[in-house]
Amino acid sequence: MDTQFIVSMLIILATFALYIWIAVYNTAKQTSDFYVAGRGVPPIFNGMAIGADWMSAASFIGMAGTIMLLGYDGLAYIMGWTGGYLFLTILLAPQLRKFGRYTVPEFIGDRFNSKAALIIAALCTIIISFTYSIGQLSGSGVVIGRLFEIDAKIGTMIGVVLIAFYAAFGGMKGITWTQVAQYIILIIAYLVPVIFMSLHLTSNPLPWISYGEILTKMGELDRELGISEYFAPFTNGTKWQFLALMFTLMCGTAGLPHVIVRFYTVGTMKAARWSGAWALVFIGLLYFSAPAYAAFARFILMTEVAGNKIAELPAWTQSWIDTGKLGIADANGDGILQWPELQIANDIVVMATPEIANLGVFVIGLVAAGAMAAALSTAGGLMISISSSFAHDIYYRIINPQASEQKRLLIGRISIVVATLLAGIIALNPPGAITQIVAWAFALATGTFFPALVLGVWWKRANAKGTIAGMLVGLAVTLIYIFSAKYGGFTVLGIIDTGAGVFGAIAAFATNIIVSLSTRAPSQELQDAVINLRYPEQMVYKDGEVYLNDGSSKE
Amino acid sequence: MKKIDKKVADAYFREKNTYMAIYFAIWFLVSFVMVALADSLTDVQFLGFPFHYFMGAIGALFTFIVLLFVNAIVGDKIDKKYGISEARNEEIGANNMINH
Repeated sequence: MDTQFIVSMLIILATFALYIWIAVYNTAKQTSDFYVAGRGVPPIFNGMAIGADWMSAASFIGMAGTIMLLGYDGLAYIMGWTGGYLFLTILLAPQLRKFGRYTVPEFIGDRFNSKAALIIAALCTIIISFTYSIGQLSGSGVVIGRLFEIDAKIGTMIGVVLIAFYAAFGGMKGITWTQVAQYIILIIAYLVPVIFMSLHLTSNPLPWISYGEILTKMGELDRELGISEYFAPFTNGTKWQFLALMFTLMCGTAGLPHVIVRFYTVGTMKAARWSGAWALVFIGLLYFSAPAYAAFARFILMTEVAGNKIAELPAWTQSWIDTGKLGIADANGDGILQWPELQIANDIVVMATPEIANLGVFVIGLVAAGAMAAALSTAGGLMISISSSFAHDIYYRIINPQASEQKRLLIGRISIVVATLLAGIIALNPPGAITQIVAWAFALATGTFFPALVLGVWWKRANAKGTIAGMLVGLAVTLIYIFSAKYGGFTVLGIIDTGAGVFGAIAAFATNIIVSLSTRAPSQELQDAVINLRYPEQMVYKDGEVYLNDGSSKE
Repeated sequence: MKKIDKKVADAYFREKNTYMAIYFAIWFLVSFVMVALADSLTDVQFLGFPFHYFMGAIGALFTFIVLLFVNAIVGDKIDKKYGISEARNEEIGANNMINH
């Protein structure tokens, strides 16, 4: 055991001890605590919790690596994963909060007064969250694999046990405050290396300003090597793919059940607006830094690692080769590592860069702890979503409405453990890079929930039949496109599997509108409830009139 | 409960929607339009960056954050203008949930 292992392990254990202490201190005592944290979280802390819930292993571990490998084309992830917050914060979250339910399927079930819609929405939640959690588990496998210098597969198995235990334990209330702590840990862990690299390469401590000159230098290096410039647009896919991916990630953001539910934990529509704004500031801190991280990492690899003798490569290369995520092949047999001979997986860039840049054992350990925080916090949120869909939406609302609170909590916890184990089995042989798997989850949310929620909130004429048909068609089209693009080589306008949400959303919107219009309109009561969502809590819409609830007379 | 004049209620909704349309127009411009124009902006430099790269990595995200804060502040102002009290909202919000 070397010093690096001991230091990393100590930092990870210390952060875990902190999360567990917070979780125990805030143990869920009631169902409302378990699902929506008692609805009293202040917006700025809720913003941090949304940030941690949101920033998954894909954001922390995968995104900078994806940008490093794709150049400009990778920025679709930056714009897509942040632009969706406008949909969420302006179009959906406050209105859903006013409706006042626990979960997204419950909103859909009650808005359309349909058990079938509730069940289908619950199944969609499970499918989306499950796909997403495969990415998280495979991310924790990368971190644990590196830490113990073992295969990422064994790392994944350790991650499964950790996450199952962790999520089953706390529930939403514990998770809210744990996520605040996790946000702070993960953002420090992300910013420290990027600031050090910025100082080292440009003598400027502000990476967000300084990496412009690095980009320009890399453009020159790329031209010398005869490869396309790092910042040249659409070199790894068509412009349509970029736009489709960006659209998919934006709409998916607004349709992800585990993120929407975080807006249920605040008190009012106003608090929901402010939560969204704060959340994007906290998320932005990491997203502004990811392209800088990518640029610095690529620059260091090109100038300080490539060009060395393969026999004399630094020790960090061997640890990463052991995890199966780094490949070095001396293609021309000259004993020197050329840039094209370095095969680096997207998923290890953030984890490996502190070592590559020689930042010392403490920073490397800190990054490992931050990556674990990102994977754990998102996996926790996802597992709560799966368990609430199962235990609350399906079991309690449909199968056994007489179930006691203890029984529902127990079923919730069992479904977390089962879901984590199943996702873990798939994550052993992940079907793609972390960001790619996560993009599929977004495509599924774009094809199912985004149209159902937007029309459900803003179009009073949308009815149960239209919404059910829309969700099913959207789900089918998205799934078929993902599979035929990934395995069958079928594409439209060069749009690959990650951009599948566009087709799912178009199909779902069209189906929903056509079927709704050709079947009976929802009851007047339901239509009034939809119009009511346009006004703040204090304004009540009833029978074509709006009233101000000033407490003068209770009705 | 006090009835609100239909004109006032509609004005509230219209005011909110007008701002919403403005936010989404700006959002569309800095994301989709900028990407569509990316290949023709590569030679323009901005703060040391190629302009298309700057917009993708920094400009769009910065605009989104500003828009969300403007939305939150303007939303509060509109509520105030129409006599909505946040304290009362909190009270109603706390009761407005199905308790299972």
